[in-house]
Amino acid sequence: MNADVLIIGGGIQGCATAYHLAKSGVSVIVLEKDYAGRHASGVNAGGVRLLGRDIAEVPLSKASMQMWQGLDKTLGEDTGFRRRSLINIAADDADIETLRARQQVMQSAGHSHERLMDQQELREALPHVHPSCLGGVTSDLDGYAIPYKATLAFKRAAIRAGARFMEGEELISMRRVGPVWLVQTRTADYEGDTVVNCAGAWADKVATMIGDQVPLSHAAPMLMITTRLPHFAGPVVGAVSRQLSFKQFANGTVLIGGGAKGFADRARNETRLDYAKLASAARTAIEFFPIMAGASINRMWAGLEAYMPDNLPVIGPAANADRAFHAFGYSAHGFQMGPITGKVMADLVIGGICDFDLTAFRIDRFDRKTL
Amino acid sequence: MFTSLRRPSSSTVMVTINGQSVPAHAGQTVWAAMALAGQTVTRQAALSGEDRSAFCAMGVCFECMVEIDGQPNQQACLRRVTEGMTIQTQNITEHSGAQNHGL
Amino acid sequence: MAFDCAIIGAGPAGMSAAISLSAAGADTIVLDRAPRAGGQIYRSVADSPLADVSLLGEEYLQGAALIEAYENSGATHMADADVWHIGSDGTILFSRDGETHQIQTREILICPGAMERPMPIPGWTLPGVMTAGSAQVMLKSDAVTAENAVFAGSGPLLYLIVAQYLRLGVKVAGLVDTTPLANYRSAMHLGPSALRSWPMLHKGLSLLREIRASGIPFYRNARELRILGDQRAEGLSFHSNGRRDIRSDTVFLHHGVIPQTNITRALGLDHVWSDIQKCWHVKSNAWGQSSSPHISVAGDGARISGAEAAQSSGRVAAANILTRLGRINLQDRDQQCRLDHAFLAKQAPFRRFIDTLYNPAPALSLPEDPDTLVCRCEEQSVQNLRDGFDKGAANPNALKSLTRCGMGPCQGRQCGPIVTGLLAKWRGISEADVGYYRLRSPQRLLNLKEFSRFHALSAQSDKEAAE
Ligand SMILES: Cc1cc2nc3c(=O)[nH]c(=O)nc-3n(C[C@H](O)[C@H](O)[C@H](O)COP(=O)(O)OP(=O)(O)OC[C@H]3O[C@@H](n4cnc5c(N)ncnc54)[C@H](O)[C@@H]3O)c2cc1C
Ligand code: FES
Repeated sequence: MNADVLIIGGGIQGCATAYHLAKSGVSVIVLEKDYAGRHASGVNAGGVRLLGRDIAEVPLSKASMQMWQGLDKTLGEDTGFRRRSLINIAADDADIETLRARQQVMQSAGHSHERLMDQQELREALPHVHPSCLGGVTSDLDGYAIPYKATLAFKRAAIRAGARFMEGEELISMRRVGPVWLVQTRTADYEGDTVVNCAGAWADKVATMIGDQVPLSHAAPMLMITTRLPHFAGPVVGAVSRQLSFKQFANGTVLIGGGAKGFADRARNETRLDYAKLASAARTAIEFFPIMAGASINRMWAGLEAYMPDNLPVIGPAANADRAFHAFGYSAHGFQMGPITGKVMADLVIGGICDFDLTAFRIDRFDRKTL
Repeated sequence: MFTSLRRPSSSTVMVTINGQSVPAHAGQTVWAAMALAGQTVTRQAALSGEDRSAFCAMGVCFECMVEIDGQPNQQACLRRVTEGMTIQTQNITEHSGAQNHGL
Repeated sequence: MAFDCAIIGAGPAGMSAAISLSAAGADTIVLDRAPRAGGQIYRSVADSPLADVSLLGEEYLQGAALIEAYENSGATHMADADVWHIGSDGTILFSRDGETHQIQTREILICPGAMERPMPIPGWTLPGVMTAGSAQVMLKSDAVTAENAVFAGSGPLLYLIVAQYLRLGVKVAGLVDTTPLANYRSAMHLGPSALRSWPMLHKGLSLLREIRASGIPFYRNARELRILGDQRAEGLSFHSNGRRDIRSDTVFLHHGVIPQTNITRALGLDHVWSDIQKCWHVKSNAWGQSSSPHISVAGDGARISGAEAAQSSGRVAAANILTRLGRINLQDRDQQCRLDHAFLAKQAPFRRFIDTLYNPAPALSLPEDPDTLVCRCEEQSVQNLRDGFDKGAANPNALKSLTRCGMGPCQGRQCGPIVTGLLAKWRGISEADVGYYRLRSPQRLLNLKEFSRFHALSAQSDKEAAE
């Protein structure tokens, strides 16, 4: 089968890239070894967060946030996006100091989307927060979406624009011969002018086939969700320095994260949970929000996520091959970046340039460093 | 209509089911106490708010979730009555708000 | 604390296995959620609240002897233990008295028993609709009965509870038998000679005779079942030689049992679809060993075959575990299991006969009415699922992610089998190819506060703490 562009990986980055390319009239095939949205993009915490991003990521994340606000309309699909604001809670004076310093950095870079809150404002926004909390920082545009719905929304919109999705197709080899990429899966052969590597936790293997080495690692961030609770928290909640992260969805269930990692076995598509670490996330949640003591955990899980040493993604052209591009390594905060990644990748594939400075995301940024 | 064929037993406890004070046999399941008291609605369904009642009586369906002593999501068919227990039909739907206004 | 073997479930399979293991000196723990050993079938037999327990039948009474032998076996019995996690590394986490406890074990034997096959007829979520199994549980453990109830469906368990009700003098509004006529023909083809001598068949027939003799309304070949009522059940409407309604505030449904697979699923063990029994069961060999060698299964939780076979399969699994623990050699194992293996082989044709005769009517397993709820917890109807399927969610996990079907507290126990069946039908492929939900611990709702107090302890320090 032939297409102008072959995208490896049907997560949100792959689906969004397919959507933007197909919409511009480029023929696209997405090769996915399982099914679209099976991994990180379908099972993540759904956080759509601009707050607290690495300064290098802020321009992309800001643009993505604008796209999220109207994404349902753009795609003609339900992504489950709700703008709810996100508040990072400051528990002590050290946290307040951290926030002040950050505020200065952001302001001198010209970013004004992060707003400090005093104790009173915090209590008004989150009446159930522990009274000892001192304040916080918030970003108004932030919220959440339903991960699998959002990924499927991009996939469906891409299909409507003409993209083809081949699921259950695991890549086994890829090589450039003259002006074409020859791609082989377990069942078929594909040919394209361009390849885009959106293979998530497996992207280092795909990068190697392209000819790029990358210090990617993978891990299994864990989540747990409760049965419905009476609504007690409108905004999404995080903390400046503690492993606290939760959101109460419109249906009343509360998703608790916090970054604790389980055990990842990517060869077998499997993750195992570390209950002691999850229990400590439960402790933190109750400490900050005593109302949660009565909650019942309904499900716990983990997803396979790709991490870079600096927690910044790889976005941009391949270093050692023509007509190959990468978008992976989002280090547990890539769901929010999906919409803009799709746009940037399409721009790069079609015109070779995009609206953003991608220096911080180069694949060869660690080449001369010893890690 | 549920009825009891229990042989006479000495030990009874008092429990409160939806505000009604009723005697129950010590060691009896909460669901049995509810059924015999004619209080068969265990919970309201989360989306529609429709009444639900125990279905499997063996712990697999979770239809019998009630509030016991203020703690929600208790399976009435598995929990056993104790003296002074307060049992309440569980009403947590998508639209419920937290009762107190915070701390 | 560390054990040679942990057994989940103290029913006939688990108890029998524990007796064998303990007799050979293996340090064995049995965890069960119930306050007393017995499992579903022998529930409360040792401390029945009924005045005359003999009315429940000979088979039930036999359980008392097994329970006694088990309680004297020396195995550690952990009652009121709600197991919420079993890891393939041998870690078991369970709730007891509001705290999570941890044990470690070399071998795991899973005997969680069966649950009733969901019977999603229109109105099955209304208060007043329960399962025949629930009638039996209420009777055995609490001596609670429902006056004037309708019983609908098919299979031995349904007839048993009706007969028990009648013996106890409880009025029954009617028995609505949904066994398709065609099943009788297919079952007869299986060679009646193999069955003639089988005592259980005789027992089944005498139950039916007993019910018929009682003169309660008894309808056969019933189809198109529907619960009457809007807010709560007011009766059952069905087709059997014309449309009929029976008024009643309680309807008990039943059409067979299926293995409880949530634990074995969460362990990531291989499962197979049985076309004969129309259900999933965990894949295991003749010794009950699953796709992970140190995890074995026995009883109805492994494969539906009844209480007697469960005891045999429990002993067989135990003997094999004893060889793995180095306590007996292979010859001893084979010798020890001769009778049990022979029994299991002998009852297979009978099982096959029962499975064929009481094969569930497709229309009662897979709802056709678009408004019927498939997922009781998250209130997802056939139509909701169809919409999700049309959007491209073509496997159980994708459909779950999109619609929330299976995300509620029962963790797919009710909707799971239906979802597999619906997707197989819509895609025109086999259930085996459709697959099932990916499941995880916790096996049941877990209080956040309780969990927050959990600190993983190494087996050693836990043992020290216990001493
Ligand atoms: C538990 C968890 C919580 C998270 N929470 C958030 C959050 O709240 N907010 C946020 O913004 N981000 C969050 N993230 C991160 C976010 O989910 C990811 O950064 C993002 O989804 C990455 O998208 P992706 O398309 O790169 O990866 P994936 O969704 O993993 O997609 C990669 C796809 O490539 C396929 N593939 C790989 N190799 C091959 C091959 N050889 N052939 C064919 N196909 C192949 C895989 O099967 C997979 O489907 C979280 C991640 C996890 C795991
Ligand atoms: S009635 Fe089914 S879990 Fe209690």
